This record gives sequence, C-alpha cells and structure tokens, in this order.
Amino acid sequence: MLAIQANGLERAFKGGIKAVDGIDLAIEQGEIYGFLGPNGAGKTTTVRMLVTLLLPTGGSATVAGHDVATEAGAVRRRIGVALQEAALDALMTGNELMILQATLQGMKADAAKKRCGELIERVGLTDAGDRRVGGYSGGMKRRLDLAMALVHSPSVLFLDEPTTGLDPTSRFTLWQEVSRLREEGTTVFLTTQYLEEADQLADRVGIIADGKIVAEGTPEALKRESGANHIEVILLEGSDPAAATAALSSLGELMEASGKHDVSIRLREPGIGVADAVRVLDDAGLEVAEIELVKPSLDDVFMEKTGHRLEGSGDGES
Amino acid sequence: MSERQVVPALIRRALNELIRVPGAAIPGVLAPTIFMLGLTAVFGQVTHLPGFEGVDQYIAFVLPVGLLQGAGFTGAATGVNMARDIEQGWFDRLLLAPVSRPMLLAGIVGSAALRALIPTTTLVLVGIAFGVKFPSLAEIFIAASLVMILAASTACWGAIIALKFRTQQAAPLMQIGSFVAVLFTAAYAPMEMLKPWMHAIATVNPVNYILAGVRQGFIGEVTWSDTWPAYAAGLGLLAVLATFAVRGMRRTGQ
Amino acid sequence: MALARRALLVTLRRPQFLAPLLIFPTLLLAVNTGGLSQATALPGFPTIDGQPPAFFDFQIAAAMSQSLLLGGVGTGIAVALELEMGFFERLVAAPIPRVSIVFGRLLAAAVIACFQLSWFVLLGLVFGSGIHDGIPGLLIVCGIGALAGIGFAGIGVTLALRAGNASTVQGFFPLVFVILFLSSAFFPEALLSSPADVIAHYNPLSYVANGMRAPIIGYGGTRAVLEGFAAAFGLAVLFAATATHALHGRLRAG
Repeated sequence: MLAIQANGLERAFKGGIKAVDGIDLAIEQGEIYGFLGPNGAGKTTTVRMLVTLLLPTGGSATVAGHDVATEAGAVRRRIGVALQEAALDALMTGNELMILQATLQGMKADAAKKRCGELIERVGLTDAGDRRVGGYSGGMKRRLDLAMALVHSPSVLFLDEPTTGLDPTSRFTLWQEVSRLREEGTTVFLTTQYLEEADQLADRVGIIADGKIVAEGTPEALKRESGANHIEVILLEGSDPAAATAALSSLGELMEASGKHDVSIRLREPGIGVADAVRVLDDAGLEVAEIELVKPSLDDVFMEKTGHRLEGSGDGES
Repeated sequence: MSERQVVPALIRRALNELIRVPGAAIPGVLAPTIFMLGLTAVFGQVTHLPGFEGVDQYIAFVLPVGLLQGAGFTGAATGVNMARDIEQGWFDRLLLAPVSRPMLLAGIVGSAALRALIPTTTLVLVGIAFGVKFPSLAEIFIAASLVMILAASTACWGAIIALKFRTQQAAPLMQIGSFVAVLFTAAYAPMEMLKPWMHAIATVNPVNYILAGVRQGFIGEVTWSDTWPAYAAGLGLLAVLATFAVRGMRRTGQ
Repeated sequence: MALARRALLVTLRRPQFLAPLLIFPTLLLAVNTGGLSQATALPGFPTIDGQPPAFFDFQIAAAMSQSLLLGGVGTGIAVALELEMGFFERLVAAPIPRVSIVFGRLLAAAVIACFQLSWFVLLGLVFGSGIHDGIPGLLIVCGIGALAGIGFAGIGVTLALRAGNASTVQGFFPLVFVILFLSSAFFPEALLSSPADVIAHYNPLSYVANGMRAPIIGYGGTRAVLEGFAAAFGLAVLFAATATHALHGRLRAG
C-alpha cells in the first residue's frame, strides 16, 4: 500500500483558477518526499487537500490508505501535520500544548504524559517545557510544532515549509530530526523552498509549477537529467579570452560567461574534467588564475523545468 | 478513545486567557454594568408609569437585561477569538484532530457559557448593592443557566460569522447580532407598553422569552409559565445556531 | 486642507469605520423609542402647547450625540493606527505646518459630523415629525453638531497622541456611554435619578444635546440654542487645544 497516492488531484478556487491542476503522486511508506516550488505554485494547496483541510474539486487522493474526501476522520488519525505558521497559543506552555494535542488525538492521560515527556526531550525543549510559548524563539516553536505533530506516532507526517525563516543552526537541528524519522520508517511529505533542504533530506523530489508537477525523481537523477557538468575559467591578465575559448571548444559547447568568469564551457562528456581543461589551455600557452568544475544543482533542474530560479524567490504563501 | 475529554481540554484553553492576561475579563463586565446603571440613572422614573405595577426599582427590571448583554458580549468575544484562531492558523490544528465537529464546537462554546458567569456574578452583586432583592437559590440557578444557554448561543453566532468571514474585522457583525437580539425585546418596559412594531418583534424573538425567564427571579415570583418557554426558546435557539455553526465548520476549506 | 480632505476620503472609503457610527445609535434610537415611548406621559416631561413631543423626535438628538461621541473615538483610533503604522512620521517629515496634522483631522471630523447628523435628520423626516424649525433649524443642528464633533474628535486625537496605540484608545469606548448616561441627552434633566441629574447639569453634552433638540422639537427656545452653541464651541476650543498640546508633546518626545 502506498503511503500517499493522488490521481489527477485538482483544486479550483472562485473564478475557476486552478491552484492545483491534475497532480499524480505515488509515495511509498517510509519515503521522504520533497515537494519543491516557488510561492503560489500550489504546494500549500496540495498539502491542505492531502491533510483534509481542503476538499479537492477534482481527482482523488488517499493518505495511509484512506480517501481524503470521504474518510477524513481515518486520515486525521494517521497523519501528523506541522503547517507553515507553527500556530501555537502564546499563552500556553510547551508541556500544556503537548498534552492538549495528545487529548485532541484521543490519547489516554497516562500514555499522553509519558509520550509528551519523551518528545519534548527529543526536540530539546525539556528545560523550556514549563515556559509560555510566547517567549520561545522561532526555532523552538518549530521544534515544538514537530513534537506536537508526532505525539500520536503518525505513519505519515506532513511538514509544510518547516524551516522557512529559521537561522541555519535551527534549520540544521530540524533536519537532524527529520533524518531520524526516516530511520524510524515514518513517511514524510516535506514542502520547501530551499533546494539544499530537498537535496539533503528527500529520497525523491517533485517540482511543482503553476499547479502541475513538472519533474519528479531522486535528486541525483534529476540533476543528471538536467545536463552535463561545466567548467568555468578565469584567466591571468594578459591571456586572450578568445584564444582560451578556441582552445576549450574542443571539450564542449561554449556557454554565456557570467561577469566574473572569462570562459564557461558545457562539457561534452561526463568523463572530461579539470585536468583536460588545464591541459588544452596549457597547450595553447594560456595562463589560468582560477578554474572550477561545476556540477548541475537542483536549482539548474528547477531553472530548466520552470524557466526561473527558485532560490531567493522569497517567503510567503504558496 | 474518548472524544468527550476534548471538551474540557478546549474549555481550559479558552479560560487560560482570563487567568493569564491581566484585565482580559474587564471589558466584558464593564460594558453591561455601565449599561445597567446608566439605564437606571436615566430612565429610573418610568416605573411610575401605569404598566410597571409590581416594579419598585427600575434596576431590578434592567438587571436581567444586563445579564443577557453580558452573555451576548461573551459570546461575541468567543467569536472574535475564534476568528483570531482562524487567522493565526490555530484553528487548522483543531480541524486536523480526529474529533467530531460538534465536539470541537462544544469545547469552544462551552467556554463562553462558563465565562458568562463572570459578568453575571458581578452584575448581580452590583444590583444587590443598589438595592435589588437577594435572589433565592432556585432563582439564581434559573437565571445563571439561561444566561449560559444564551452565551453558548451567541458564541455559535460568533462562530458562524468567524467561519464565514475568517477575520477579526467581522467583530461588529458578531456584536450587532447579540445587541439586537437582547434589546429588541421587552428590555426597557413590559410587553404591553411596547410600541406595536417592537411588540411584534419581541413576540417572535426567542431572547424575549429567555429575558422573561431570567427576570422572574428579580421581579415577582418564579412561575412555571415563565420558566418553560425560556428554556424552550433558549435551547431551541442554541440548537439552530449550533447546527449552522457545525455546518460552517464542515464547510471550512470547501 | 489637503490633510482634512485625505482624512475625509480615508473615512468615507472604509465603510466599516463609518457604518458603526450610524448603525449603533440608530439601533439604540429604535430600542429606546420602541420600549419607552410612553415615558412622555411622565409628569415633568417637557410639553409644547400642552402636549409632549413624540418620544422618537425627543430621542433624535440623543442618537446624534451618541453618534458624534463614537465619531470622536473613531477619529482617535484612526490617528492611533497612523501612529502605529508610521504614517504619522511621514506627515511630520512633510514641509507643512505641524498643527495642520491635528487641524486637518478636526476639520474632517466636522464634515463627517454633518454626514452623521444628516442621517438622523433623514430618519426624523421619514419616521418622525421632521424638523420643527425647518431649514434654519437644520443649520442650527449642523452648527452645534459640527462644533461638538470637532470637540469629540479633539478628545480622540488627544488620547491617540498621548497613548500612541489604538487598543488604549479603544479602551476608552465604554466612557462614551458613561458620558451619555450622565447627561440629559436621553431624558430630561428633571427626570434623571440622583446623582445623574446633578452631573448632567454640569455635563456639556447635556447642552449640546438640548441645543440640537431645540429646533427639532421646537422646545427650549433661543436660550437652549445659545447654550448648545456655547457648550459645543467650548468643547471644540478646549479639545483642539489639548490635541495641539499633545501633538507638541509627542514631537518633543520624538
């Protein structure tokens, strides 16, 4: 049984605008699936349909084997959700919120107390557990939110942009937690705007643009698919860029050089490397200041599939 | 698993605000108290008019209006808090819980019913300080239970508006609803003294029957004929508004 | 003038701010009239040619006074929001006389007051006996009302500039009803309960309300009108001065 399955999932809003336009998903149990897309691409709308907060207007989806439209209660019992805003009551303490969440999930008082204590400790909030959440940092709130989402040991966890707006240290702590979940066999559906996050955490990545999935696969496969490595060269003063271009053209195809580089070449074959480039430049009597082999990133994949870069597109509703 | 334990948990969460925010309860108490004392100061002499037989003090006549206004304000405040929870995403957390929607609503409006006892207690004490007779236990029970039913009903009204507009800016709509419901009754004078159009509205307004039920403890004796219509109207109003509120919760996100 | 025009446009473009200024007093006008129309039979109620005026006509000036007071709170909240959002600093940085920031608001309040008054005059024409003193009477109502509107807006601006945040200004909202109930806006001074009657005697709102009421019901004569103008003018001058003083205080504090 797949953990998450969607067939032609659609959501149209007033005026007929389709925020999600026929998405297919097949996510295995225990898989970490990264859902990448810029603001307004349809990421959050997809998540809200999968977690039963929004009814689809077309297609169908099952989560943990239950239909999101007709078996919402069963889905809710099996999923954990940490939504974008980490909505927490600032007047309550971390421990109180954990117990409330456990109660909402129908746990018995003793079991709830034990489980909450374990989770609070696991996310490093034991000392802050009796403090009101209003005084927590952004990172602490996200960790508490994650702990609350895990309180009933869900089989599928949805994390909607869990690290947006966090500093690098807090982001790294959260990544460690998600990696631990992988080891425990929890299926994680992770939306993110950060390519590095998807690259680090996800077993597979889906790229969504304008409500449609435009690419899907493992990060490595997507990068391979996106194109060849390229070499970027900065020459020493006095060396002729035209001569360098002519010499390097035997290795691949000329690319438009960025401001700081004199020559950029997309390599013809994966086997060609920096040594080959240095050799042909040396043969042509040209002196090199810097030379770099650049491998394609998920951002390149994103650029190729959607026509624009993802990173730096800003935070916000998506 | 027991869904029932969700209700006290949500009530505790809602009452937290009163305990942890200094002064949070004051506006809900102040407004009906000012209204009750103000009406008495301004219109106190009307008890000399024919039609007010048996009413010695106007404050005893308008104290029940103040109690129902307190319930109305409390219900509206619950609606505003719910709109805030929707804006801030907390409400999604509740909707994601595998709890039936009526139970979630019960937790939310249950807090309003309990919270309404704060203005109720204050107003009764202020009224007694100004000479209103000390009500009997039965009279207090009837008044308090009817106030709680009305507070739960207006909280449902607040929830309906909050779910529809999803913003705290809809607060005036929530307040106007309870304001109209409480005052378009025999609030200021007995039924037979009302203008015909007001009489007609009061006759079909369920809150008028709740008012009569609450008032009987403070003016005259408690009678069965004033009691059962009050509970029937109150519970009927609550049932209708709760049905719409639950429907609104089910529709959320559609 | 440009600032007054801007304040006016902003108010008119946000019906959610303007509507409560009319809706709440209109509802209370309906409630008071529907419930207590027989109050005119009380001994001591003013009579014209031996007959009391219709209670609705008597209450129009009360609704106007309430609306103007609410307008003052509204102006205060608008200024406080501008302070919170930083728009105030932009105005301060502009090459204009700084007092125009205050006077622009007060001038806009005077114009808005005329809109508010027109609404209640219209209600009087439709549901009451109209204005007893005709067009000159209308001008008197607008004159007193606009000056009082400036005064109440001055209170709002003063509070906003002193407090710097909208929630504090909002907290003064119940005071509107205290001021109203402790005046002869709703009921003749002679029929108010003690000590409200004594306080009402010294409350300028009583004179503003009676001054606007005089031409509407044709009672009180020139004296009531002159006292109304004097009280409204006094309020306008006093609170324009406190608002200006508060502005200087805020500018000094940076």
